[in-house]
Amino acid sequence: SSHEHKLNFKKSKEVCLNYIQDAMLQKQWKRAAEFLTFYIESLEKDFSTAYMGPSEMIWRIGTEILCHHSHSSMKQFNSFIEQMKTLGVKRYLKVCLEHAFHLLCNGLIDEAYQNLSLAESWRFGEQTAIQDREMKLIQAYRGLLDYCSWSKQKNILLEHGQNGFEDLSVEREMHSCFRKAAVNLKEIIKVPGVWDLFVKCYVDLLEYYGDHNEACQVLNEYAYNSKFPANPNAHVYLYQFLKRHGESKKSLISALKILHDIVPSHELMIDFNTMLQKSKKRKKRQLGLEVIFAALDYAGWKENVKAWSCLARQVKQIVISEKHLDWIKQEWNSRKDWWPAFHFSRYLAKRNWQENESLSYEKALVAGILLGKDCKYFKYVSHQGCKAQVKRFRILKKFVNKHNPVYLRISG
Amino acid sequence: MEFPAVLFPSYFSAGPPREEGGPGPAAGWGEYGQVLEAGPHRRQAETTFVPRRGGTGESWEPADAAPVPFLPPNASCWIPSLVPQDILYHGVLRRKLQAGKSGAALDFTKQLGHFFVDHPEDAFGSLGRLLHKNFYLGNSKLRVSVRPGVTMLPPTLPLAAASPSLCLFSPQRHARDNTIRMTALMEEIGRLEARRGCPRQHLAPRLRWFSHLCRDWLFEVPLGLLADCVHEELLLQWAGLLFDDSCTGGALAWLPPKDVGARMGRLVYPGGEAMNHLYFQDVVLEEMPRARGSPTQFELNGRIRQVAAARADGEDFIGIRSDYHCGVWRVPGRTGAAPTPLQVIRTSVPASCLTVSPHLPGELSVCTQSGAVYLWSIETGLQRLRHDPQTMFFRDHSPWRWSDFTAHPRVLSCADRTGLQCLDARAPERCHFDLFKVGEEAGCQQGERVVLPMYLGRAHPSQHLVTTQFSVYVLDERLPLVPVLKWAHMMKAPPLFAHLTTGGPERSHKVLLGASHTQELLLLQYQGGSRSACQLVGPPQKLHSIASCLQHLPVQLPHRHRMLQQRLGTPAAGLAAALQEDGLRESLLVFQLSEAGDVFCQRLTHEAAQPPAPTSGDEAMTAPGSSPLFETPASSPPALGTLRYRRWLKALSEGCGEPTRHAYPATLSQKRLFTRKELAMPAGPSTLHGQLRRQLRQTMREGGCIQRWDPLASQPCTPPQPLELAGDPDPLSTRLTAAWSGDWGQWWEERTSFNMAQRQRALRERRRRQKRARGRRSLSASFTSSLTYQSELSELSDVAPTPLSPGPPAVVPREGSPPAGVPPASPLPDEALLSSQSLRCRGIPKERRKTLRDYLAVWADDPPEPPELPGSQASQLCIPSSQSQLSSASQPRRKRPRMGF
Repeated sequence: SSHEHKLNFKKSKEVCLNYIQDAMLQKQWKRAAEFLTFYIESLEKDFSTAYMGPSEMIWRIGTEILCHHSHSSMKQFNSFIEQMKTLGVKRYLKVCLEHAFHLLCNGLIDEAYQNLSLAESWRFGEQTAIQDREMKLIQAYRGLLDYCSWSKQKNILLEHGQNGFEDLSVEREMHSCFRKAAVNLKEIIKVPGVWDLFVKCYVDLLEYYGDHNEACQVLNEYAYNSKFPANPNAHVYLYQFLKRHGESKKSLISALKILHDIVPSHELMIDFNTMLQKSKKRKKRQLGLEVIFAALDYAGWKENVKAWSCLARQVKQIVISEKHLDWIKQEWNSRKDWWPAFHFSRYLAKRNWQENESLSYEKALVAGILLGKDCKYFKYVSHQGCKAQVKRFRILKKFVNKHNPVYLRISG
Repeated sequence: MEFPAVLFPSYFSAGPPREEGGPGPAAGWGEYGQVLEAGPHRRQAETTFVPRRGGTGESWEPADAAPVPFLPPNASCWIPSLVPQDILYHGVLRRKLQAGKSGAALDFTKQLGHFFVDHPEDAFGSLGRLLHKNFYLGNSKLRVSVRPGVTMLPPTLPLAAASPSLCLFSPQRHARDNTIRMTALMEEIGRLEARRGCPRQHLAPRLRWFSHLCRDWLFEVPLGLLADCVHEELLLQWAGLLFDDSCTGGALAWLPPKDVGARMGRLVYPGGEAMNHLYFQDVVLEEMPRARGSPTQFELNGRIRQVAAARADGEDFIGIRSDYHCGVWRVPGRTGAAPTPLQVIRTSVPASCLTVSPHLPGELSVCTQSGAVYLWSIETGLQRLRHDPQTMFFRDHSPWRWSDFTAHPRVLSCADRTGLQCLDARAPERCHFDLFKVGEEAGCQQGERVVLPMYLGRAHPSQHLVTTQFSVYVLDERLPLVPVLKWAHMMKAPPLFAHLTTGGPERSHKVLLGASHTQELLLLQYQGGSRSACQLVGPPQKLHSIASCLQHLPVQLPHRHRMLQQRLGTPAAGLAAALQEDGLRESLLVFQLSEAGDVFCQRLTHEAAQPPAPTSGDEAMTAPGSSPLFETPASSPPALGTLRYRRWLKALSEGCGEPTRHAYPATLSQKRLFTRKELAMPAGPSTLHGQLRRQLRQTMREGGCIQRWDPLASQPCTPPQPLELAGDPDPLSTRLTAAWSGDWGQWWEERTSFNMAQRQRALRERRRRQKRARGRRSLSASFTSSLTYQSELSELSDVAPTPLSPGPPAVVPREGSPPAGVPPASPLPDEALLSSQSLRCRGIPKERRKTLRDYLAVWADDPPEPPELPGSQASQLCIPSSQSQLSSASQPRRKRPRMGF
């Protein structure tokens, strides 16, 4: 019966698909390609109402095979994709976008641009929400490519400017690129998402034409709109923008403070700490200590010499001045039960000494102050340092011995 | 800790997942996802782009055609794990699955029946003891002495048994008087088993009666309660078969060598019959990894579900999770140092997770199915961080919880099926943030659930892996909720095991995903996370599963093959990998543990600086019309592995050889075929009985076998005899010949007159015999018979002659080919078998006698009339002359179709 026939057909389709998957997962691209030619037959009797019909599978599998097959060429790839575009209306934009990505990754930027423009002009009935998103992405990527050619022309102009002559046609083209890019980029960054690439380009354009207000607004929106994900880069871009335009220390600090709240382990925390340490306000200096302690909580900072030297410097300052020992005490309280095992074990002393002498020096200083002169880390490193006749370790030992009472006050 | 300066673009929206139906079967292929400008802006050069997925990765090629056993087979005997057929109602599974319905019918009654049979003491113990004197199971008749007073048997059995004080008689007599014969009931039960599958099975009134009578008091545990418990357990078992998360994380761990370049590591795995022994085995990494010395062994009091290991401060800490106990071992830094157990905790609810901190020595995190998350420190003990039986983001019924460490040693990630949250152990109520949500934030599908989270700290301190049944995600703590990588893994079963092998700077990290039931193994590569954004590189790659070696093994006897198939196909229970560097050549050794406790190993080799050009293997593998995979080194695993296989197979067959009970020849209990009565001999044994008996005895003496039941099978099938016999053409041919030549009328005349004479002769003969046998026949029977006789006589003119050739009716052995030395059965026995007398002697009640005869009469009625076909089977059916008399008079005889008129 026809029902049975359908069932059998479905079964053999599944078997064939399994063979294809198996071959692909074992990187047997030629074998997979052979099976795919059989699978294409399934298009003729596509009864499925499934989410992913055979035509989408053929597009996906075919693309993958052509990307890895040893004998495939860009021409073949293009003709395959052109066929795929005609297979499904719902998928047209997605296929176009992926095609453009393929061209971009292979360095064919002009072809990709043409493709994107073509896709942009496509209309088919009412667009679904997904198609709407895909269309926005297509426009954004086209804007990105416009930006690329804009910056290329900008460089040409700069070069020409250095050589002392002007080129009006290049300048005109550059401006048209700017307009096209700006329109498209502006659209996508209104939608919540991660748009680092597009935001950067758009801000660059605005800055070049001197529209700082708009740029600042865009960056603020990107960083502080609660509908957007908590992207550390958004705050970094804002901070960098403020820094570029010589904004006040206060605004810089407030930008970094927010970054610190989101990502205490961000690499900018070193800058933040230095900035705060230089501050005359006590509160800021205390925040600086907090920031550096918090950064060193993270496993990724464990062997960061810069961070340890920041901490060592600030702790040393406090100990020498004997003011604000309570700051250290406050920070140390929540860490004293696990920092010794995490940072100052004998095993780490040995390893740090072997691998990075200056790291072990900074850490030994901190350990000596926080844990006293009997701490394993300090003992081992200062002993090794003295044995190796390194001068700074001898000074370090003297310093810690002299300020040992501090340890008692901190831990008490 | 750098953060990528630019991330790949992606949309972000909150809320429940919108996409329905799960990803399609090829969802992981053919997408770049997004692209990004590569590197910092180089003003002059042409901009280049890198894709999120699809960049070139490293090439890791499997060195062998199949995994090789790494250790001898586990325990001496192995109990195969539960399969759906064990608990599902027979026959329903396939139908249901074909119909696409997920509802499976659990065979609840069978399980309850098994319980009664396997544990009769627990099921009926006390009442059985009380009643056993009153139940008689013998064959002889039970004589009840009828005396005044004794006839007043108590109305119900239990009353009699429970109140012996009522009885006034001597114990012996009392016992006799209160005993009932249960033999018939037992036989009925025996038959019930034999009639399994018969549509009329339920018609066993005696059993119904008995069960109605005793349902309320016979059982030790009230039946309803017991049934509830069995049903609940069945549901649990079924859920476990559909998806068993108890082994999440895997029970296999590799402790890498202590020093860079050293070749000796350690494998930690469970073993023993109940998988409750913990082994630490030294392993030397060579061309083929080799176990050195015998393993250190610990016996635990529970099945080991998970083995987790991490290295902190140069020492390995190994966490072991069984259902109600978790333990931690330490392996000191020195090479060859013995592992020491440190601490054990007991949980009242099964633990579902145990992970070891990579930051602080002796810290672990434990989760239980009650929704509690603990930070467990060897020094300070347990600290409960959270206790919430509800899931985090939306309601899900699964009690599974997971927890792992993060970049901050005091912050733990907590997971349930709906997502991940990070908690600060110092203030768990206040400080937490959502790391991953099954929702639109990560672009999840509807119905997607977290299967296994894993901290990828060795690759990048702030990265986490999350697998669901559809996809695999890489998350960065610094950018919560938005996965930095996402890929549909297309695995058939959800990945329950994962392993990370880190690559150095500028190299990709290798992630191995493993599924339990399908034994799938998938290798993925990714890179980035600090300076550049995360990228999935290279195509995903499938590794060999344990079961895939079966096709390379030498041909086995069918039952051994099945055993091997079962053993090798057991679900996987763990996954580990070791990276071995040998100058420029690197290899990845992948160990896989099965639930039977076997450890297999396969090797992947990486040739540094190999161009991504076609490998020679690819070319060879695509020879048209061949099975390319197995062409490489013949159809057996390569030499190094072959020896291991041989040893493994030998050890397996020695240890788990066929159980001795299989040595008995198959026997069949005759009790299930016939009841005692049916087997009892009739008063006067007929000739057929005599013959059969003789034959049986003779065969028994000779030690041969009787093949009469299946005579056709014993001889080669001969082509049927040609219909036309020389000198005696069949009636159809004669008739046709006559019709052709025109004198058909004459032929008919001849025929009828001949038949008339023949039939009359036959009838007379029959009559004579009946008279002889009429001795003990009832009146009605004789009446019927006389009626039939007359009607038969009257019908003679249009009735076809009944052939007298002894054909095979359903009840008699066929006449076909008697074995040598046995005289062919005469028509007589058939008749004897069906005679009313013999039927009665056999205890067949009157009504059934009639039915039987009617049934046979149908066979007799059928032969098409006038011209019979003596050569064909149809007319050969036996109609013993003595039986037509018994067809009832009240039943009108059917008019036969008149062929040819």
